[in-house]
Amino acid sequence: MAPKRKKVEVEEEEARAQVEVEEEDEEEEELAFSRNYFLAKEVGSASGKRSAARKVSEINLVDEQLLRASLSELPTKHEKEIGSLLESYKGLYSNWLFELRCGFGLLMYGFGSKKAFLEDFASSTLTSYTVVVINGYLASVNLKQVMTTIAEILWEHYKCKAKISTGKKQQTQLPNGLKSVDDIVTFIVDISDDCNCSVCLLIHNIDGPALRDPDSQQHLARVSCCSCICLVASIDHVNAPLLWDKKMAYTQFKWSWHHVPTFVPYKVEGLFNPLILFSSGHVQTTKTALVVLQSLTPNAQSVFRVLAEFQLANEKEEGMHVSELYTKCREQFLVSSQVTLNAHLTEFKDHKLVKMRRHSDGQDCLHIPLPTNALEKLLQELV
Amino acid sequence: MAKHQSSPQSASSQGANSQDANHTLEPFFVLHKAQLQATVVEKVSKSRKGRKKGIESSPKSPEKSKRTTSDEQPSNTLYEQWRFKAFNEIWSLIQSSIEGVLRDINLKLFNEVLQWIEDSFSEIKSNVKLSSSEILQPYPLLADTLCRKIPTAFVLTKNAEFVDDIQTFCDLGSHLKANRCHVANMSALDFSLKFGIGGSVRSLLRQLHSEPLDGKIADMLTLAKWYCEEENNDKPIVVMIDDMECCNADVLGNFITMLSEWVMKIPIFFIMGVATTIEAPKNMLPSDALQHLNPCKLTLGTPSDRMNSLVESVLVKVCYCFSLGHEVSVFLRNYFLRHDGTITSFISALKLACSKHFSLESVSFLGLYMLDQDSEERWSEKFVYLPESMKRCVLNLHSCKSEKNLQGGVGSIVQQLSDLKASQRFWSSVVLCLFEVARYSKMQFLDIFCEATDPKMYCMNGSENSLKKHFRCGDKNSTARSSSGVGSITRVIHTIREMPVAALSNLLDKWNNHTEEMTEINEEVKKLQSVLASVDEGKVYEENLHNIRNRKSVSVISGKGNSANEKVAMLLDAMIRKYMKPLECMTLHEIICFRDVDVLQSGLIGDPRKTIQLDLLKCHSSLSCSCCSSDAKNLSPSMHDTSIMYKLAQEFGDVINLYEWYQSFKTVLTSSSQTSRKKGRPSPASKKAKPLPPSETEALIQARFCGAVTELQISGLLRMPTKRRPDFIQRIAFGL
Repeated sequence: MAPKRKKVEVEEEEARAQVEVEEEDEEEEELAFSRNYFLAKEVGSASGKRSAARKVSEINLVDEQLLRASLSELPTKHEKEIGSLLESYKGLYSNWLFELRCGFGLLMYGFGSKKAFLEDFASSTLTSYTVVVINGYLASVNLKQVMTTIAEILWEHYKCKAKISTGKKQQTQLPNGLKSVDDIVTFIVDISDDCNCSVCLLIHNIDGPALRDPDSQQHLARVSCCSCICLVASIDHVNAPLLWDKKMAYTQFKWSWHHVPTFVPYKVEGLFNPLILFSSGHVQTTKTALVVLQSLTPNAQSVFRVLAEFQLANEKEEGMHVSELYTKCREQFLVSSQVTLNAHLTEFKDHKLVKMRRHSDGQDCLHIPLPTNALEKLLQELV
Repeated sequence: MAKHQSSPQSASSQGANSQDANHTLEPFFVLHKAQLQATVVEKVSKSRKGRKKGIESSPKSPEKSKRTTSDEQPSNTLYEQWRFKAFNEIWSLIQSSIEGVLRDINLKLFNEVLQWIEDSFSEIKSNVKLSSSEILQPYPLLADTLCRKIPTAFVLTKNAEFVDDIQTFCDLGSHLKANRCHVANMSALDFSLKFGIGGSVRSLLRQLHSEPLDGKIADMLTLAKWYCEEENNDKPIVVMIDDMECCNADVLGNFITMLSEWVMKIPIFFIMGVATTIEAPKNMLPSDALQHLNPCKLTLGTPSDRMNSLVESVLVKVCYCFSLGHEVSVFLRNYFLRHDGTITSFISALKLACSKHFSLESVSFLGLYMLDQDSEERWSEKFVYLPESMKRCVLNLHSCKSEKNLQGGVGSIVQQLSDLKASQRFWSSVVLCLFEVARYSKMQFLDIFCEATDPKMYCMNGSENSLKKHFRCGDKNSTARSSSGVGSITRVIHTIREMPVAALSNLLDKWNNHTEEMTEINEEVKKLQSVLASVDEGKVYEENLHNIRNRKSVSVISGKGNSANEKVAMLLDAMIRKYMKPLECMTLHEIICFRDVDVLQSGLIGDPRKTIQLDLLKCHSSLSCSCCSSDAKNLSPSMHDTSIMYKLAQEFGDVINLYEWYQSFKTVLTSSSQTSRKKGRPSPASKKAKPLPPSETEALIQARFCGAVTELQISGLLRMPTKRRPDFIQRIAFGL
C-alpha cells in the first residue's frame, strides 16, 4: 500500500511541476507577444540581454526601515510651483460648481494626487451639499456601507419632509429588507426625487482597487443619476475610461472631464503599495520564511536548520536526499520516524520553504529555494 | 488593508468636524453636511419638474433679485445665478425640443407596433375563450400547435451602438402602456446565465406587478393568477427585450419555450430589438425556441434621419438664445460621424457646450431675453440696472471692439441686440429653406448647417461676383466637394435646378411658410408659385430626372436660363446673400454663440492615456519652473522624480531592468549635483541641504526611486515584476 501511495504522491508532484513549467511558458509567450506586437523593430535579442541582466540584489540596498523613514520625509520638489498650480485651479471652482449644478459629473484626471485639492474644493465651494468622501484608493472600501450612509442621509431628509406634509412621526430606522447593495441603491433611487437635499459624492480614485469591478461601477452609475446626488471623482490610471460603457458615460455619470495635473506626491494613495526594491527578490522571501519558521515547533525549526546547513555546505549539490535528511535528523533526536519527518516536510512544502527536486541520480531530493546569502541571513535570525 | 474599516454610523457621526488626518485611511466619511439655505434651489434646478416650473416663473426672477440688490454692487454670485437660470431655461427648451423630435420620429413605428398588437390580440381572442379556472390550470391546453406561437416583432434598430435605442424602447413602452397594454421592459441583464430562467421570470413579474413580490414564488402560475384579476384581464402583455442579441441564448430560448406553453391562456407578445440583421434570431436561438415565435419585422429610423430632425429643430429653430459657432459645429459634426455616431453622445456634447457657454461667458444671461416678444424692453430695463463694470464687459466683447456705434450707450447696445435677434431669425428661415431642398435630395442637414455657420463663406459671398464665382466653382467640383462636406449649399442649389415641377411646387409651399418674416422674399415666393401654377404641367411632368439633366446641359449651352427651376435657384441665391448672415459675423454674437472648441473638446474627450504621459514627459510646461530645462530631452536632478523615471523608461524596451533603471536614476540625481557643485552653482533642490552621509544619500535615492515607481504603478504605466522575473518591470504604454 505504502509504495503505491508514494507513487501517487510522486505523480502529483510531477504534475504540479508540469503545471508550473506550463505557467512559466505562458508568461514567457505573453511577454514575447507584447514584444513582437509593440517593438517588432527592436534590434537585438532581448532574451540574450536578459541572461546577462543585472539583478536587484546587486543594488546595495539600505535597511527597509531607513528607506521607509526617508520616503516619509522626502522633500517635495517644486513646492512653490505646485502651490501656484493649485492656486490657479481655485479660480475654476465656481465653473466646476456651475457644471455640477447643470447635471454633469466632474471627472478630474492628470498626474499627481488630487485628494487634498478636491477636498479643498468640496469644503470651500460645495457648502450647499452634504459631501460624502470615498477614499477609493483603499482596498477596504465597502460599497454597501457607503450606500447605507447615503441612504441614511436621504432618509433623514425624506422623513422630515414626510413629517411636515403628513404631521405623523415616521420610523427612524431605514426600512427593513434592504439586504443587498442592489436593494439599497434601488431604495436611494426611489426616494431621491422626494428629498429636499443635495448630496455630493466625492470619490478619490473611482478607478481604485475596490471600485473597479463592473458591479461597483454599475451601482455608482445608478446612484449618480439620482436628481439629488452629484458626483465629483478623480482617476489616476491611464486606462480608467475602459470602466464605463457609453450608457454609463453619457446617460448616467455624464462626465465633464477636467485635466488638472497637480504633481503632488501620491503619499496616501501609494501607502499600501509594496516598495519595489523590497517587494521582489529574496528580501521579502527571507522575511516571510522567518515568520513561518518562527511559528513552527523548535523541532521543525531544527529540521529546517539541518537542511539549510547542508545546502550551505554543499552549494553545488542539487539538493539533499530525503533519506540523508532522515538519518541526520534521527541522529540528532529531532525525529523518531519517517512519518514525523514527512509531517514536517509537508508543512515546509505547503509554505514553499522547501521544494522537491529530481536528483540527477534519479532520487528525490530537497532544496530550499533561497539564495545563499538570504539563507545565511535567515539562519542568523532564526535563533 | 482591511484593518481600517469604519461603520456607516461612525462615519456619519463624525460629521462636519472632519479634516482629520485619519480620514485618509478611512474608506469613507462625511466631509460636511449641507448648509440649508441653498439646497432647495439646487433641487429645483436639477429635477425635471423643477425645470418646467422654472420656465414659467423665472424670467422674472432675475428681476426680483436684481431689484433687491440694485442699490449695491451686485456680486459675481448674482450674475452666476442669472446665468444658471438662463442655462436651465434654455436647456429645458432644447431638451423638450429634442424629446419632441425623437418622439415624433418614432411615432410612426410606435403606431405600427400598436396596430400589430391589436390585430394579433383580437385574432387570439376570437380563437380562444377561456375562463379563469381554465387559465389557472397548471398544465397546458391541448390544442393546435400553431396556436402556441408567440407573436414576436423584431425591431431592427439599424444602430451598432445600442445606447440610442434604450430611450426609444422606454418611449415605446410608455406609448403601449397608454394604449391598454401591460408592458415589461426587459434587458439583456435579465437573461443572464448567472440568474437563469428564474431571474427572467422574477424580473417579468416584478415589472407587471404593481406591488412588491414579497414572499410570492415567481412562477408562471403567479403570472396567471395576476392576469385573472379583473383589472388586469383582457389586455395584452407585451414583453420588450431591447437588445436580444446580448441575451444568453439558452436562457432566452428556455424563457420563450416556457411562455409558449401558456400563450393560449395569457396573451403574450414579444418585441425584440435586433441590432444587426433579421437573420440574427435564427442564428442565435435554439430551433425549438424559434419554432414558438411568430415573427414580424419592423424597422426603426436611422441615426442620420434622427440627426437631421435634431439639427432642424434644435440647432436651427431654437437658435435665438444659444447657438454654435462654426468651429464648434464642425467639431460636433466630426464627433458624430467619426467618434461613435450616436445621438446620445451628440446630445451630451451639446449640453456640455451649452453649460460651458453659460459658465464661461459672463454676459450670456442676456441671451435669455431673445426668447421674449418684448426683448428690447427687457434689455433696456436690464441695462439700466447693470453696473458700469458689466456694461464694460459687453463693450469689451471681441465683436464690439471694431464697432464704433456701440460707444453711444445703452440704446445702441439694445439696438445691436435686436439686430442680432432679427438676423438670427432670418438666418434660420433661410437655413430651413435649404433643408427643405436637402430633404428632397437626401443630404445631411449637419453638413449644410456647418457651412451656413461659416463666417468665411459669408465674406466670400459678400459681393455678387464672388458669389457667382463660388457657385460656378461649385458646378465643376461639386462631386469632389460633396464628400468633404464643403459645397453643400452649392449642391442644394444644383438640386433645385434639377427638380421636377411638382417637387418644386411643394418646395415653394414650404418656403412660403418659412419666409413669412421676410416680406420681400415671401412675395417673390408667391410670384413663383403663381408662375409654376400657370406652367403647362403636362410638358414638364413627363420629364424624368435623367432627361432633366440633359435639358439642363442644353439650356446652359444655348443660354436659356430662365426656367422656373432657375428662377427658384436664383431666389435661393438672393436669400442666402441677403439674409443668411452667419452669427459670428454679427456684433455681440458672443452673448449667444459658443465658439470655444478647445474647451468643449477637452471637457468631452478626456484622454488620460495620452495626457498623463504628456504630464510626465513635459512636466515643465505644467509647472513652468525656472530650475528645470524646458528641453524635453534634458534630465536634471531638480525635475520631478517620476518624470525623470518615466523619461528614462522611454529608453528601455518593453521590459525595464530594475537595476539598470535604478543606476540611471541615481546617475541623474548624483552626477548633475556633482557638476553643479563643480560649477559652484548648486541646484535649488540641494541649496539648503547639508551634505548627507553616504548611507543616507543612498537611502534618499532609493526612497525616491521606490516612490516614483509606486507613482508610475498608480498611473497604470507599469506592470509590477512577476515571480519569474523579479528584476524586470513591464512597460504598458508605448508612444502617445
